Amino acid sequence: MFREFHHQTRGRGHVEDGTPCQDRTAYLNRAGIQVLCLADGAGSAARSELGAQALVEEGSKLLADSFRSIVTRDDGAQIKVEIVQRLLRRVERVAKRRRLVVRDLAATFLGVAVSDDQFIAAHIGDGVIGYVKDGEMKVISGPENDEFANQTTFVTSESAATNMRLLRGSLVGVSGFVLMSDGPASVLFDHRSKTLAPACRKVVDLVSSAGNFSVPSYRYQLRRLLDTKIRDSTKDDCSLAIFGRVPPVGEAVA
Amino acid sequence: MARLDISTEDLIENPTPRVPVALCIDTSGSMDGAPIEELVTGVNQFYDAINDDDDAHDAAEVCIVEFNSGARVIQEFASIERLQRISSIRASGGTAMGEGVNLALDTLEERKRLYSDNGVLYYQPWLVLMTDGAPNGSAAELERAVQRVTDLIGNKKLTIFPIGIGAGADMDVLKRFSPTKPPLRLQGLSFKEFFEWLSKSVARVSQSSPGDAPPKLDLEGLAGWAEL
Repeated sequence: MFREFHHQTRGRGHVEDGTPCQDRTAYLNRAGIQVLCLADGAGSAARSELGAQALVEEGSKLLADSFRSIVTRDDGAQIKVEIVQRLLRRVERVAKRRRLVVRDLAATFLGVAVSDDQFIAAHIGDGVIGYVKDGEMKVISGPENDEFANQTTFVTSESAATNMRLLRGSLVGVSGFVLMSDGPASVLFDHRSKTLAPACRKVVDLVSSAGNFSVPSYRYQLRRLLDTKIRDSTKDDCSLAIFGRVPPVGEAVA
Repeated sequence: MARLDISTEDLIENPTPRVPVALCIDTSGSMDGAPIEELVTGVNQFYDAINDDDDAHDAAEVCIVEFNSGARVIQEFASIERLQRISSIRASGGTAMGEGVNLALDTLEERKRLYSDNGVLYYQPWLVLMTDGAPNGSAAELERAVQRVTDLIGNKKLTIFPIGIGAGADMDVLKRFSPTKPPLRLQGLSFKEFFEWLSKSVARVSQSSPGDAPPKLDLEGLAGWAEL
């Protein structure tokens, strides 16, 4: 069982130019499958915040619905195509309802689903997915930038399925996951060494060790971290999604 | 309840993504006098404007390649803090434009390699090509330069700003370097206005995030000092 945290905050640059926060996060717990998703809307797309919202909602349902199938199937390339097709169908519905075109809703997608002793992760575009395994913070999937800093792949890109990273693995030794958009990645991910900042381990540990209070203090502390220290380091929107494994009763978090 | 204590050491200080800008300038004999003096003043004002902008200050890196009867790098790529203001540039000789552009492209490629080797993110490089005449260097070098530039632009790997200085600039050859947008002709010696506009454009691109459209030419901003 994992405890979750997810939050997005509007970047300073977006406040300056009057654009909304284009990052979105979501959590879903369905039939013993827990899912965290994050999407970062493209700056050039007219209503990418709607695309990001659609993707985290549909992505959460998709990963919950398909979890059992994805962890057993061996045709990874076909799974990627099916994931992109389903996400795109949702985006197309939103575009039609809002009288937009699909590219107006361009956004990246990051998702992690956990259940029993297995996990799956899906990633299109930039941002980072990491996890704590055997006490060490490791990158599962790093940012996929094309050659240039302001280019990446979106779910609406032609190459979305080809460029998707789809991973699955055992939860043995795994104590948490962290998903972030490229905003927080500017201080939480080292682009030179391709490693995660020590802060990532600390936030995962915090979520793991938090108790189930009615107004959980860990959520307040994490929102404050994202809204101040991390947000101040970039002009971009900032979003984080964290899973922290709840330790068995009587066992303390290291 | 655990307390979250995140210090500076818990975060990463990544280098700011860079915008490499190569100024490829004609220093042939016809630029002698007022044109080269105005150009030097304009470049120094460009440096000052970048220095004053929070975003461009950390992102922009500039080099200068001159071409006359040959081509050479007169300012290696450097961040604004390391760029020396220019006191003067000597103008003499012919107009080896092809050689100049090829050297500027080589310099940009080398800079990109350095960024990649050191894990520094970067934006699409910019090439500013300025001339007041027509090329009279090697025809083969000119063709090679045109081919390289158009290939890079076609693959969205380069942004070029071809600028004609005065009435004698060969706009047809500048057009060959810029298949997607027409070259600009400066009205008089409006270097100051051009470089002011250029520094603002550098600042805009250095703020852009994945998915942002590349900065468009601010056509209204061009009025009065350039014509398309």
